[in-house]
Amino acid sequence: MRRIIFDMELNWIGLAAAAATFFGVWLGHVSVRKIEREVEHIWIPSVLALLSGVGLEIASFLTPNLILSTICGILGVTVLWDALELAVRQPRRVREGFAPANPNNPRHAKILAMHTQATTIDWLARDPRGTPYTNTELEALKERSL
Amino acid sequence: MNWFGFSVGILTLFIIGLGFVWVIRGERYFGYLWWPYVIALGASCVLGSLFISNIWISALLGGFGASLTWGSTELKEQAIRGELGWYPFREKKILPPLVDVIKKWKAPSL
Repeated sequence: MRRIIFDMELNWIGLAAAAATFFGVWLGHVSVRKIEREVEHIWIPSVLALLSGVGLEIASFLTPNLILSTICGILGVTVLWDALELAVRQPRRVREGFAPANPNNPRHAKILAMHTQATTIDWLARDPRGTPYTNTELEALKERSL
Repeated sequence: MNWFGFSVGILTLFIIGLGFVWVIRGERYFGYLWWPYVIALGASCVLGSLFISNIWISALLGGFGASLTWGSTELKEQAIRGELGWYPFREKKILPPLVDVIKKWKAPSL
């Protein structure tokens, strides 16, 4: 343990990794939902995220600074994950009705027309109540928001 | 070539992936009201990482702490998903200490 734990000097790498992880996940979480909802040609932001992720990883390889390398390495993988979310996972949530479709986005309008499960309801915009919803309640919630 | 950032990035991806598992399981058995304790645990990990001189352990502990903190903000939405029937729902939860105080606070959701 002596060799692992310092007495005085602080090691900032952990804090840098924490900040990159938290803000990388936060940024991805918010921007993937927003961008997928608004953009018609989803391959464009997906490819941009892919290129940014690869760029960040290249930067993490090239910099000799450990803190900078950590930040680029972590942000890079989160942005690469965002590319997958934009291209595949979020559109699937919209098709299956887990994420709300945007009828003003022509791509989503098509999804709404083709997939009966797709909906404009934001199911998660409510507070937990402690008991499960019955099918009748779920139908009523759907009716009310149509 | 500096492999450190890339390697930490890949390992962090697995730590974040682990978050999916513990948020789902944790909410099912313990409920979302544990969120202040999860934030405190996450912050403690990040703080602790400052005092660890080994760069690998420090970076991964920091990433793990951040992932715990993020996960605490996901618990409330996960509780709703369970109630909607998207995940198995368990009515009987192991509630946290001071649950009546925590209920009065607004659970974070980012």
